[in-house]
Amino acid sequence: MTGFDDNQKIRRPGLKRRDLFAGSLAFGTLGARGMWHSVPAAAAALQRTAASGTVPRLVPMRAHADQITDIKVCLRPFRPAGPRLDVERVGDKVVIHNYGHGGSGWSLSWGSADIAVGKAASLSPRRIAVVGCGVIGLTSALSAQRAGFDVTIYTRDMLPHTRSVRANGSWTPDSRIALTAPAGPQFAEVWEQMARYSWKTYRDYLGLPGNPIDFRDDYTLSDTPFDQVPEPAGRTGPGDYASTGMPRATSEFATYGDRIRDIIPAPELLASQDNPFPVAYAQRAPMMMFNFGAYGHLLLSEFHQAGGKIVIREFHTPADMKSIAEPVIINCPGYAARDLWGDRTLIPVRGQTAWLPPQPDVTYGVEYRGASALSKSDGLMIQAVDLNDVGEMEGVGNSFEHVDRAEAEKAIAVFENLFARFPAGRG
Amino acid sequence: MRGRGHAGRAGLGAGLLLALAHMGAPTASAAQARSVSYYTTEQAQRGATAYQQFCAVCHGASLAGAFDVPPLKGRFVTNWSGTTLDHLFDYISKAMPLFSPGALTPAQNADLVAFILRENGVPAGRVELPATDAALKTMAFPSISADRIK
Ligand SMILES: Cc1cc2nc3c(=O)[nH]c(=O)nc-3n(C[C@H](O)[C@H](O)[C@H](O)COP(=O)(O)OP(=O)(O)OC[C@H]3O[C@@H](n4cnc5c(N)ncnc54)[C@H](O)[C@@H]3O)c2cc1C
Repeated sequence: MTGFDDNQKIRRPGLKRRDLFAGSLAFGTLGARGMWHSVPAAAAALQRTAASGTVPRLVPMRAHADQITDIKVCLRPFRPAGPRLDVERVGDKVVIHNYGHGGSGWSLSWGSADIAVGKAASLSPRRIAVVGCGVIGLTSALSAQRAGFDVTIYTRDMLPHTRSVRANGSWTPDSRIALTAPAGPQFAEVWEQMARYSWKTYRDYLGLPGNPIDFRDDYTLSDTPFDQVPEPAGRTGPGDYASTGMPRATSEFATYGDRIRDIIPAPELLASQDNPFPVAYAQRAPMMMFNFGAYGHLLLSEFHQAGGKIVIREFHTPADMKSIAEPVIINCPGYAARDLWGDRTLIPVRGQTAWLPPQPDVTYGVEYRGASALSKSDGLMIQAVDLNDVGEMEGVGNSFEHVDRAEAEKAIAVFENLFARFPAGRG
Repeated sequence: MRGRGHAGRAGLGAGLLLALAHMGAPTASAAQARSVSYYTTEQAQRGATAYQQFCAVCHGASLAGAFDVPPLKGRFVTNWSGTTLDHLFDYISKAMPLFSPGALTPAQNADLVAFILRENGVPAGRVELPATDAALKTMAFPSISADRIK
């Protein structure tokens, strides 16, 4: 390999943090430590592919509030019992619900669509209608086409105008998807089925031009050892969902991730010599993520190529479903079901993302001090995840779907400060 | 088997009628489905036991299948509707379980079909599902009432 030979000539006396961001570290350090061929033995000892001390070369994020290109706000459609997937009749129409995926709609979309389409298929219709063109509607429509049905989408808005594209867009399949108690053990099974099915489906979109779906190394940083990080208070009031009709504490939210640990890359605690950040503790995990632009356009063109039709229409009551020509309807209005379907179990969970220009040379994400940054093809995205130390309660019950610039600037400042502490970050 | 109700032998014609009726006139469909006996509660229960033993390992405890294993609910109905039940029975008898095709007895396979019908929302009746091709040939794969989709 010529690349290797060239790099071997770059010999550096030792490992300095600055090297990480100067951009010439990785192979140089190996050279200093001896020959490349000695590395596999060391790696094997660690059961890893690279020897300890081979810190990855990271380009710093340019996180500054004066670089904001967009701030997006969205309400997660959260239902304590988990997404609604039951079947209902409206006149002579059969309506199969598929809404209420909380902070996990992107992640679970294909699996949830598969369940909804399965129910529709029980009725062996020839044509199926889908209401809504967010990520849930679009994947339901595509899944129905793949099952052999003629599909028409009826929607008020096309994907770029939906709440879906105002999300973060990472693999977060159990992010505020349900509360453990009201959802019960049965939903845990359904969740696992959805998560596994989605994960597999996404694999089909990896490595395509434009990277509609991609992986990023995601670094979680901490100033204190991970096993000593205090649990966030995570409580916003006394009582719980059963007694107050609203969740009150982080501990009420369901976590199901352990059920699919066999297929999700595990986080790796970085030894200090492997930690590229000026923060004492770091762990790294490869994370799947969704590039809204490339992926959205791809899904839409797949839908049209398969003969799908889109009708722009707004429905005002469930009875309006009777005006749809198709006998079976998959209903995917997201949070709007609260009004359209009068579903008062839907609880808004506000969230906001700030977008800075794309930095294609930055190929990772960072979680630090309650904020999250991720380099995506459509921008460097920064989100205040838990600046207030309330854990999963952040944004719960908040339907203020307007930009809070101060919140965005606070989150950006976390990373501005972090990267200013890198020598190379100052340049 | 001789004792099967006449509705059970009405066969494909009735099945098609049901299929046509169930979208537009739900009550008629439900009433008709009730009048046909496809299987008994006990038989489906035996099928459930056999299912857990021989089938769940691939098709999952809830018949949902997986990304690369066909579900035995939902799309399964579309795939088999318009056929008579002997086809499904034959297929299971010859091809399943995949790791040991043909290992189950005709009675076990009929129990499995009964269980699958139950899980897809077909109501139980008073007569067991027969375990012979000849009898199953006269029975259309039933249509499913929207009210019974789980
Ligand atoms: C800040 C934030 C971050 C998030 N991050 C992630 C993440 O990282 N990973 C993840 O998996 N999930 C994430 N989510 C959750 C995810 O975005 C949602 O679960 C998902 O977008 C819900 O999609 P949907 O299609 O159900 O709803 P929507 O996107 O709201 O789509 C609803 C559709 O229905 C149509 N519609 C609504 N009402 C009517 C009507 N009356 N008549 C006709 N049409 C109508 C709309 O026009 C739209 O097309 C996040 C959410 C937020 C807010």
